[in-house]
Amino acid sequence: MTVPKEMPEKWARAGAPHSWSRKKPSWGTEEERRARANDREYNEKFQYASNCIKTSKYNILTFLPVNLFEQFQEVANTYFLFLLILQLIPQISSLSWFTTIVPLVLVLTITAVKDATDDYFRHKSDNQVNNRQSQVLINGVLQQEQWMNVCVGDIIKLENNQFVAADLLLLSSSEPHGLCYIETAELDGETNMKVRQAIPVTSELGDISKLAKFDGEVICEPPNNKLDKFSGTLYWKENKFPLSNQNMLLRGCVLRNTEWCFGLVIFAGPDTKLMQNSGRTKFKRTSIDRLMNTLVLWIFGFLVCMGVILAIGNAIWEHEVGTRFQVYLPWDEAVDSAFFSGFLSFWSYIIILNTVVPISLYVSVEVIRLGHSYFINWDKKMFCMKKRTPAEARTTTLNEELGQVEYIFSDKTGTLTQNIMVFNKCSIHGRSYGDVFDVLGHKAELGERPEPVDFSFNPLADKKFLFWDPSLLEAVKMGDHHTHEFFRLLSLCHTVMSEEKNEGELYYKAQSPDEGALVTAARNFGFVFRSRTPKTITVHELGTAITYQLLAILDFNNIRKRMSVIVRNPEGKIRLYCKGADTILLERLHHSTQELLNTTTDHLNEYAGEGLRTLVLAYKDLDEEYYEEWAERRLQASLAQDSREDRLASVYEEVESDMMLLGATAIEDKLQQGVPETIALLTLANIKIWVLTGDKQETAVNIGYSCKMLTDDMTEVFIVTGHTVLEVREELRKAREKMMDSSRTVGNGFTYQEKLSSKLASVLDAVAGEYALVINGHSLAHALEADMELEFLETACACKAVICCRVTPLQKAQVVELVKKYKKAVTLAIGDGANDVSMIKTAHIGVGISGQEGIQAVLASDYSFSQFKFLQRLLLVHGRWSYLRMCKFLCYFFYKNFAFTMVHFWFGFFCGFSAQTVYDQYFITLYNIVYTSLPVLAMGVFDQDVPEQRSMEYPKLYEPGQLNLLFNKREFFICIAQGIYTSVLMFFIPYGVFAEATRDDGTQLADYQSFAVTVATSLVIVVSVQIGLDTGYWTAINHFFIWGSLAVYFAILFAMHSNGLFDMFPNQFRFVGNAQNTLAQPTVWLTIVLTTVVCIMPVVAFRFLRLHLKPDLSDTVRYTQLVRKKQKAQHRCMRRVGRTGSRRSGYAFSHQEGFGELIMSGKNMRVSSLALSSFTTRSSSSWIESLRRKKSDSASSPSGGADKPLKG
Amino acid sequence: MKRGSHDCQSRLPDNTALKQQQLPAYRLQLTATIILSGFFITGVFCLGVGVILLLSAKNIKEVEINYTEKCSDCAKLRENTANFDKECTCSIPFYLPEAMKGDVYMFYKLYGFYQNLYQYVLSRSNSQLMGIDIKDVSNCAPFKNSHNGIPIAPCGAIANSIFNDTIVLSYNLNSSMSIKVPMLRSGISWWTDKYVKFWNPSSQNLSSAFAGTAKPPSWPKPVYELDEEDPENNGFINEDFIVWMRTAAFPTFKKLYRRLSRIQHFTEGLPAGSYSFGITYNFPVTKFQGEKSVVLSTLTWSGGSSLFLGLAYTVTGALTWLAFFAMMAIHLRLKGRKTLFHQE
Repeated sequence: MTVPKEMPEKWARAGAPHSWSRKKPSWGTEEERRARANDREYNEKFQYASNCIKTSKYNILTFLPVNLFEQFQEVANTYFLFLLILQLIPQISSLSWFTTIVPLVLVLTITAVKDATDDYFRHKSDNQVNNRQSQVLINGVLQQEQWMNVCVGDIIKLENNQFVAADLLLLSSSEPHGLCYIETAELDGETNMKVRQAIPVTSELGDISKLAKFDGEVICEPPNNKLDKFSGTLYWKENKFPLSNQNMLLRGCVLRNTEWCFGLVIFAGPDTKLMQNSGRTKFKRTSIDRLMNTLVLWIFGFLVCMGVILAIGNAIWEHEVGTRFQVYLPWDEAVDSAFFSGFLSFWSYIIILNTVVPISLYVSVEVIRLGHSYFINWDKKMFCMKKRTPAEARTTTLNEELGQVEYIFSDKTGTLTQNIMVFNKCSIHGRSYGDVFDVLGHKAELGERPEPVDFSFNPLADKKFLFWDPSLLEAVKMGDHHTHEFFRLLSLCHTVMSEEKNEGELYYKAQSPDEGALVTAARNFGFVFRSRTPKTITVHELGTAITYQLLAILDFNNIRKRMSVIVRNPEGKIRLYCKGADTILLERLHHSTQELLNTTTDHLNEYAGEGLRTLVLAYKDLDEEYYEEWAERRLQASLAQDSREDRLASVYEEVESDMMLLGATAIEDKLQQGVPETIALLTLANIKIWVLTGDKQETAVNIGYSCKMLTDDMTEVFIVTGHTVLEVREELRKAREKMMDSSRTVGNGFTYQEKLSSKLASVLDAVAGEYALVINGHSLAHALEADMELEFLETACACKAVICCRVTPLQKAQVVELVKKYKKAVTLAIGDGANDVSMIKTAHIGVGISGQEGIQAVLASDYSFSQFKFLQRLLLVHGRWSYLRMCKFLCYFFYKNFAFTMVHFWFGFFCGFSAQTVYDQYFITLYNIVYTSLPVLAMGVFDQDVPEQRSMEYPKLYEPGQLNLLFNKREFFICIAQGIYTSVLMFFIPYGVFAEATRDDGTQLADYQSFAVTVATSLVIVVSVQIGLDTGYWTAINHFFIWGSLAVYFAILFAMHSNGLFDMFPNQFRFVGNAQNTLAQPTVWLTIVLTTVVCIMPVVAFRFLRLHLKPDLSDTVRYTQLVRKKQKAQHRCMRRVGRTGSRRSGYAFSHQEGFGELIMSGKNMRVSSLALSSFTTRSSSSWIESLRRKKSDSASSPSGGADKPLKG
Repeated sequence: MKRGSHDCQSRLPDNTALKQQQLPAYRLQLTATIILSGFFITGVFCLGVGVILLLSAKNIKEVEINYTEKCSDCAKLRENTANFDKECTCSIPFYLPEAMKGDVYMFYKLYGFYQNLYQYVLSRSNSQLMGIDIKDVSNCAPFKNSHNGIPIAPCGAIANSIFNDTIVLSYNLNSSMSIKVPMLRSGISWWTDKYVKFWNPSSQNLSSAFAGTAKPPSWPKPVYELDEEDPENNGFINEDFIVWMRTAAFPTFKKLYRRLSRIQHFTEGLPAGSYSFGITYNFPVTKFQGEKSVVLSTLTWSGGSSLFLGLAYTVTGALTWLAFFAMMAIHLRLKGRKTLFHQE
């Protein structure tokens, strides 16, 4: 399996913490799993989960009850239901029932519709997966079955490039020895191919009739989430055969380069490792949601306080005044004391004042988020032309959180990189090729490249291969000896398999993309690797076919970091070709090449500076006797019983010395477009980026450099690779000390004492200099343990960049969880494969890269788009605006409702606390849903503080979101204070005026209804002016809504107060004639104007002062041209910084050992392609043994194979 | 997730201003110039309005006589409900030092009478008052039916508590002779109230229209006998009744009672001299510690508004100006230091 070698047993444990693994089926714990092939009846006894996957929540029948039940679990909805019930009690009902039920029904309906659509799409995707076809062996015949009908114990047939439907035990395949190749990208993110092999007894079961008779029984471990571990036993024909992960095909893998294979279903559907690994689906809430809920609770507390005050007031009033007033208004029959009256009045006031917690708040928030989601879906600038995929907001509830992200956790392969390796540059005998020059001889920038080199002379050339430096081809054509030798090496020294379906149509099956790129480069430059047998390699060298005898492959492994081949050319000369990591190879060169070595080293530095992966190539001539003698020793070593690996290694080492340097290659692990720029911009926005990858450390570090996460300007890059707890702890401690030391010398001389970890954190927060941390999988397993996680987190957070390599999907989730737990920061996880699903689900926001083959990541994500670079737009533009809009919206919303509601409170003191409302009931019903909803919605949806280009130019504009500045408890209190201030004026100014006033004809003005109309009108006008001030971006829609709301208010007012309605319903529309009578009075208008002026002027003055005395960045950006230019320049020069110095060489980073042996043994070659070969003499079983051993060695679990590795 | 290629084409988002968030828009920028000029103009406006209001309020002449104490005998009598049929009158002389020119209005003013209590305000039946259904008393609790079960007309707490003092103003021409000041009892209510909200049930005569209903418990006479002088002013469309039924917003309120009829001696208004109010004291206020007074007042263009509005405007204007100067100072000082807020 693909998980690193030497993985301690511990890791396997740590990889599955209780929180994830404790996911047992409800009917009890499965102790072990038994599955008998071709025996459905037997297997049905155990009631294993079927292969049907269900992620949807409802069906048509359960939708209404379940959805309503869920909705009423929301505190707010229950609260409104409770209010509705209160309102039905006549003794305390101070408002009509419709004031609550209309908004409540509206809210419930909107939410239900949204949930229904979401679930519909889940059904659709479930169906799509469940209805995939697979071929199942039923009663001796292969039948097409849908995935969901596949059961445990079925034998299914897979064909090339098909997804594996369930976790299968590989029985047999089209390839020799039951081998088959799979790609596990969906599962763990690694894209290189892996080999799986059937156990020998079943690999013979090639045809259906034999398979139909197969009745072996598998007894194995219960379902778990360990991707790299499987242990079980096959009982067949009274024999026991041990099974390991090497025999398993897991759901989510894709069959590659294998025509067909048969497998026995062991785990199906939810029991498969893929599904077990997908983590739980959690309902994600934004921090604003949580804050909002807290605030609503506070408001509720406030409401109760007001209720209590007013109730006490009522009790006192009834006792002092009300009792005497009973001639005119006797107490209700139920009321027997002032105290009881106060009690009732408490509830009445709860009903009246309930609008401080506006029900429309929740709907409006949802509507705004929906609008923002649509903007994301509609954004042309996040549409990928190549893949024709638009960005998609898959959840509509997280948008404003996009404006608060502090940590980004990114997958590497497929997210940062395209996983395409390109032969980019090379250095041959001291001359560097591959730089692109323009006419004047300057290095050309990207995008202004001339025509690529024309390879038409070569009929076997790969059309897709592009190279821009014509001088290299010239050198080949000129017959430059070194260049020829260089490409000869590339065409010979590799483990690629070729396939030629038609004449001239070559396909390379490379086990790692790096190798593929190198061999393809040689192919295009005229050294075409054509075919191989276990003993020969045929190369078309500039048109002539030459067959080399392959004497030995000195295979790659992690320690050697190089591979060599020893070939005999047609002339009979024996030569060793070697390629490998520069650090290793440069030491084993012949001293005579010193000068060449120096120039090559310079070139290597240059390549590394551009973030390319480099390899050094060398050769060595061997004479016949020496080779014979060496071959003998090698044979001895390979037959040795103990410490064979070490012996072989030393034999290899011996021959790979004093080599002649040929040159170096540079391969570009192609980054996705715009990755370095995006990362740089996001870093400027104070977002920390952590790369979590399943890839090797070298690769990961290399990518870290090429995407500018790591730079040579950094003070230090800490690499943590400890194998034990102590080592890891020590390494982390050292890293911290170093940071501390430097900050002490840089800092202003404070002395640091290691006392408290909290202090430690604060010190580390202020670390000077830039650091980076690289940690690999097994160290991470220790670092994530409960007693060390805090230490790890502090160290990691003090670093500018963190790279975790070799991590399992679950560790990714754990890292995210760790940051979430202690940092209280918003996290975003971005990835493309199924291995990122758990991380995507764990993070506050999950982003999936779409347009790839797999869709699991996208399905689990909250947002998806097809290019990493869109992340900057998603965060800095959409996220920032969403956050800004949401905050402005909330501030205004709380303000307007307090202004609206608190008037009742003041009025309470003048109406004997009798729960009399200030406004007409219709006004109360409509205020939130009609008169004031649309303008604030328009602001919430459309507002912009600065144009979108500016948010990219000034990444710092993103910071208020991270610091939670725009809406927090403090801002909330300011809004509330403003609301209360407004309500005070709203009540007392009309009160002051009306107390003495009469109309101009002497008739009454200070009547209740005129007062209600005056206060309502000035309220609507004041909040409209206020929204006008808050709206920063007046589109036509804003104009329409704001003016429209005012118009609608007056229209409804006059309609409600019209004679017609009164004639029809005299008891409902009591305010007849009020609007035209009251609003005809100059006094009333003067009052309204005065109220507006007094409410608005302080706000304007306050803003003026803030703008002048404490402007924030967005104000400054809006107001200045000057600062902008400065920052622009800064932004530009930060973009392209070259890097020199440290060199990172990686020999075929995704390379695996074992393939050389595979080739030499000829096991993986089709019989057809082996026609000419005289078969190898070595016993085949020995090869398979050793391959197995290596595999099980690399698998972490000790139970991985029957034969334990001997290696220490 | 496979889609046809034409479908793929359609996945390209539309390039519309709305969808790309590029709607043409005015970016609201509260620049210093706008804010400062806004404050200046507002200040001017408020001061202007304030001064005008204060000047016009100064022209208002008003006489208020509180007769709660002055008629304490009557008040005592009324505290006992058993004496409801005993008449009690009370005369209050006063001297008007200056003439009240123009239209003069007579108000009654009540202190501490809560016409805005929730139960109280609700306790009326509009359909009854419109004359549609004389027996609809559903909303009128606690004054729905009389004790023998007959529906009350007009029902409800508001109607029951009607202000029923009679106030007559006499002008002393000389020490021995006084004349009754002519007063109009019409035109004291809103037009919409009189002609939309209140209708008598249709019938040949009022008493038969109200047959089958009882008078409110504290009324001495049924509704159709409210105005003995003017038969047209009876029933639900009695203007005093209509005025009372428009409930006041605050516990202290004044309601229009009579208008001066500008005939004979009073074409110019009320001349200076000595007057007296003749009050038939029916409405008990001391029970709930309320007070009542009678008010004579002239009006201006803005009605009978008090000084409050004018003062409020003047103060606001002054404060706005103050703020204007303060902000101006800050702006100028900062402008000198930073170039940050330059306007193009």
